[in-house]
Amino acid sequence: MQFGLRHVCTYLIALLIPDAHPGVTRWYVCGFRRAWRSVAALTAGMVLLPAVLVAQQAPPLGPLPTPPAQKAEQVELGRLLFFDERLSGDNAIACAYCHQPEKGWGDGQPLSEGYPGSPYFRNAPMVLNVFFQKQRYWDGRLSGADLPTLVRDHLTEAHFMNADGRLLQERLKQVPEYVEMFDRAFGKGDPSFGKILNAVAAFMRTLVSRNSPFDRYLNGDQAALSGEARSGLALFTGKAGCTQCHHGPLLSDGKYHALGVPEHPQIIEEPERHITLRRFNRTLGVPNAVNVREDVGRHAVTKEREDWKAFRTPTLRELKYTAPYMHNGTLATLVDVVNFYNQGGGSATPKSPLLKPLGLTDAEKRALVAFLESLSGDPVVITWPESLPEYAVRPFGQN
Amino acid sequence: MNLKFLRYALGILLLVVSLGGGLAMGERKFPPLGPLPSVPVPPDNPMTTEKVELGKLLFFDHRLSGDLSTPCSRCHVPAQGWGTVTPISPGYPGTQHWRNGQTILNTAYYAKLFWDGSSFSLERQAPAAAGGNVAGNGDDVMMEERLAQVPEYVKRFKEVFGIDRPGIAQAWMAIAAFERTLVSDPTKVAFDRYAKGDKNALSPAAQRGLALFIGKAGCLQCHNGPLASDQDYHNLGLPEHPVFETMAIAQITHRYEQYIKGVTEAQYRAANRDMGLYYVTKRPEDIGKFRTPSLRELKYTAPYMHNGLFETLDHVLDFYNVGGGPAPGKSPLLKPLGLTEQEKQDLKAFLERLSSDEPPHVMDQPKLPPYAVMR
Repeated sequence: MQFGLRHVCTYLIALLIPDAHPGVTRWYVCGFRRAWRSVAALTAGMVLLPAVLVAQQAPPLGPLPTPPAQKAEQVELGRLLFFDERLSGDNAIACAYCHQPEKGWGDGQPLSEGYPGSPYFRNAPMVLNVFFQKQRYWDGRLSGADLPTLVRDHLTEAHFMNADGRLLQERLKQVPEYVEMFDRAFGKGDPSFGKILNAVAAFMRTLVSRNSPFDRYLNGDQAALSGEARSGLALFTGKAGCTQCHHGPLLSDGKYHALGVPEHPQIIEEPERHITLRRFNRTLGVPNAVNVREDVGRHAVTKEREDWKAFRTPTLRELKYTAPYMHNGTLATLVDVVNFYNQGGGSATPKSPLLKPLGLTDAEKRALVAFLESLSGDPVVITWPESLPEYAVRPFGQN
Repeated sequence: MNLKFLRYALGILLLVVSLGGGLAMGERKFPPLGPLPSVPVPPDNPMTTEKVELGKLLFFDHRLSGDLSTPCSRCHVPAQGWGTVTPISPGYPGTQHWRNGQTILNTAYYAKLFWDGSSFSLERQAPAAAGGNVAGNGDDVMMEERLAQVPEYVKRFKEVFGIDRPGIAQAWMAIAAFERTLVSDPTKVAFDRYAKGDKNALSPAAQRGLALFIGKAGCLQCHNGPLASDQDYHNLGLPEHPVFETMAIAQITHRYEQYIKGVTEAQYRAANRDMGLYYVTKRPEDIGKFRTPSLRELKYTAPYMHNGLFETLDHVLDFYNVGGGPAPGKSPLLKPLGLTEQEKQDLKAFLERLSSDEPPHVMDQPKLPPYAVMR
C-alpha cells in the first residue's frame, strides 16, 4: 500500500511537471517498473487511488492559490498596527519585532525574543503565506481556520505581547488617525479588540510569496530553474525523500514529525527561557510539567505518546530568507539542514521512521540546496512606517 | 500662665472626652482617636520572622511583574512614605494608573483595600496590583515559575510554608505579612505619646488643632478610631484631576477602568469622573464615594486624596473649609467650616503630629536572590 502510494504520488508529480528533469522521469519510470512487478500493489494503487489521495492529503507540489481579496482599508490599518508597539503590554514590542520584513519576516535568531523578561523557547517563524496554514505554531496548538485568533493569541500571551484587549482598544481609540481608519475599514464605530485582530489578519493575508523561480518553472518557464536546481528537484521528490512531508503548494504536509533535532541548550541554560518554557508546559497541562527539561512539541497539545517532540512540518517557501532553521533554530544554514537529513535526522529519540540516511553526494546536496533556494520568491518588502499616528487628547467625558 | 494652663486643660479635656466614649456630633458618636492596637493578623496567615523576611524580598522583586519593571516597591517607595510623590500612581510602562498610590503604612488595619474597597485583604490586594493591566501586568503562572527558578526562594518557601516549590498564593501571603510590619510605632508618634499621657508631646497649637479636629472642623465624623478612618465611603465632591483633561495616556486608563469595571455603555460614554465605590456595588448612591483614608503618616504621603489632587495639607484644609468640592452627590457631612487662618494652621499642626517623628520604615532595596540554571 505504502509502496503503491509513493509511486502514485511521484507519477502525479511527473504529470504535473511534464518536462521535469530527466532524473525525475527516470526515478518515476524505475519506480513504476518496479511497481509493475507487483500486480497486487498496482491493482490496489489504481483501485484505491482517489480514496488514497483524499485520505493522505498529499497534493503535488504546485503554486500557491491566491488568498481571498482583502479590503484595502483593513489592510492599510493592519499594516500600521503590525508595526505599532502600543499593541504590547508595556509598549516595548510590536508584531514586527519578531517578524521583521527585512529578516524574512522572522527575527533571524535561533530563538524568538518574546516579551521582556519572558524570552521564548522556539524559533519565530516567518509570517509569509501564513494564511494557507492549516495549523498554527510549531505544535499546531491553534487551528488555522481563523487567522484573527492567531493574532489574538500573540497579543495577549504572557510570553509574546502580554497585552489586555480591552486596554488595547482604548489605546487605539486615543489615536485620531486610527479612529478614522477603523471607520473606513469597518464602518463607523469605536475601535474594538475584534476589529484590531481582523485588521492585522487582513494585512497578514496579503503577505504571500511572489514570483519564486520554482513557481515560474511550474508555469512553464524552463529557464527559471538551473540545471542544478532541476537535479535538486529530482532529488527532492526522489532519493532525498523530502516530499514525504514537504508537499503541496506550501511544501508542508501540515503534520507533525519528530526529527530528533537536538534541543537548543539555551532553553534550559538561560533561566528566563526555561521559566517561559515551564510556564508554557504548565498552562498546556503537560504531565509533570515542572520537571520536564525539554520542548515536547506537539505532545504538549495532544498528550499523545506518538506526538512526543514532534513538530509541524514548516513550509519550505522563502527559506532563503528565514535562517536559522528548525523549530529551535539550531541549524544555521540550508547546508546544515541538508546534512542533518542526509545523516538520517538527529540522534535524539523518538524519531520518525521516515528519516533514514540518504547517502547524498556533495554534488547532490548542492543540487538540493539550489532547488530549495528556488522556492523563495522576490522578497516581500514592506518598509517600517516612518512614524505612527500619535495619541491625542480627547474631549474628556465624550467617550 | 493661667491662660496656657487653661488651654492645656481644655485640650486634655477634649482628648479625654474623645478617648472615652466619643464626642457627640449631632446625634452620632464616633470611636475615639488613640494609639493603634496590635496588628490584626488573619488566623490563616500567621506572622513569622522568616515569612516577613521573605515578604520583604518579594515586595522589592521586579520579577513579580510582567516585564520585570514594576515590583510593589515601584509605586510604594519606602522613601516616599511608601507611596509615590506623583499625584497619580505611575503604573505599568506604556500606561498610566488613574489613582493615587496609597501608602502601605498601617494598611494592616484596613478591613478593605483600595480606594473603592474592592479588595478584602492584603493577601488579595497584592495579586490585584501585581496582575492589574495598568499596575504590575504579571501573569500568575509566569511569576510563580520565576520564583521557582530562584534556589533561595525555593528554600525559603519550603521553610516558611512547608511547600516543595514556591507558590504564587504563598508569595502574596508573605508580602501581606511583611506589610503588616509596616505600621506606626506609637512611641515615635507625637499624638500617640500625648494620648498615653505625655502632655508635652503636642504643642499648644497642635492641641488646639486636636480640639478643632474633634470639634468645629468635624474631622472626627469620618476620621475616627485609632486609624483616624471610619473605613467607610464618602463623596467629597472632589473634582477629577486635571491630568485626565490634558494627558492622552491618562484618558486611556480612565476609559479602560470604566470599561473593565462594568458600567453601562451610557455611563462609559459620558464618564468624566472616577465613580469609586459604585464600581463595586453598582448602587447609584455610591457614585463618587471613596474610602476614608487613615490620616496617620500623612506628613510623608503627599499628595492627597484618591486622585492626588492636593499637593499639600494646606490645600486639603482649604478644600474642607469651603465645604468640599463641586462634584455632584456630595456628602451632607461636608459643610463650610469657617476656620480662620490660625485655626487651619493649628489643625495642620495637629495632623502632622499623627505622623512619626521621622519617615517610618525607610529601607533600602534588599539584595535579591538570583535565578539559577536548573538542569
